[in-house]
Amino acid sequence: MLGFCGIEAERLRARWVSSAEAPEFVEEVNDFISALKQIGPSPLKKNTAQNVA
Amino acid sequence: MIEIVRQKAGELLNQGKIKGFIAPSRENGHVAPRLFTRVEELSTLNLGDSSSEGDARYPLDKILITLHRKYPDDCFGILVRGCDQRGLYTLYRLNQLNPDRVIEVGIACSPGLAKACECLKPFPDDAVAGDPVAPEGQKAVEMVEDMDMAGRFEFWMDQFSKCVKCYGCRDICPMCFCNECSLECKDLVSKGDLPVDIPVFHLVRAMHMADRCIDCGLCEEACPSDIPLRTLYKKTGRIMDEEFGFTSGINKHEKSPLSIMGPAPDKKGP
Ligand code: SF4
Ligand code: SF4
Repeated sequence: MLGFCGIEAERLRARWVSSAEAPEFVEEVNDFISALKQIGPSPLKKNTAQNVA
Repeated sequence: MIEIVRQKAGELLNQGKIKGFIAPSRENGHVAPRLFTRVEELSTLNLGDSSSEGDARYPLDKILITLHRKYPDDCFGILVRGCDQRGLYTLYRLNQLNPDRVIEVGIACSPGLAKACECLKPFPDDAVAGDPVAPEGQKAVEMVEDMDMAGRFEFWMDQFSKCVKCYGCRDICPMCFCNECSLECKDLVSKGDLPVDIPVFHLVRAMHMADRCIDCGLCEEACPSDIPLRTLYKKTGRIMDEEFGFTSGINKHEKSPLSIMGPAPDKKGP
């Protein structure tokens, strides 16, 4: 659905991580962060910044 | 066509099989939904056509939900086009209506209406009138898919930013029956102020419609800002079909894959 609206689908992730799986959680989040850094800033964010300015 | 429906509804009323028949009615120049309880009243019956076919459709299914709750022992008749019937099937599935207390009187839509709607089944099962025509393609969805990412983003943001947050799309939707609505949950979308959060507001609704939307198009007709909502939900419907081989309301007894816990079912779609 995001792709259909022109937003990179990689910006949204859903994972099941148990509360007992701290390392998995950290790894997932770190992985997500690096993936997001690669895609760069969101088009939505740019939009709001422009609106405010 | 209308005579056949009138006759059928009259029979049902005469035989005492139904307490009332839900259909549009033309009175004082306006077409509006009505509950016909006596045969004599059926002279004003209308098929949802004001100046052209299907231009005065109403969420009759939604009215039936209200009646069902109010009169839990009675059976009602209802005029259905393909979309209304998809709605009934979905509401049976979601336990909002009891099929034993509903008698459907179905009519098939004309080729012109089927083309304008691009719906997947422009006729109900067991239509009493009208000749079923094959569904049209879905050009509206393809038009957006043909754009690149930046184009899609611009297109939808332009559209969504026209939203006046009137909740008309939700209120007219025959598949929206929840007592608590996510669109009023302040953790998801800000409540009571404008401009509306975009694209969150519209995507939250699209997500909630994923296995429900029956593509009747009433939301888009109701939207005062002419946002192509139907195209958005058609896409959600397509994803459901591609991922799970499921289309809401097409088969009477089909469960939604989203209500099944466990591994993903085999893909049926392309
Ligand atoms: S959505 Fe389909 S069934 Fe409903 S009015 Fe349009 S063509 Fe007819
Ligand atoms: S009907 Fe249109 S303007 Fe009203 S809330 Fe829905 S999308 Fe927004």
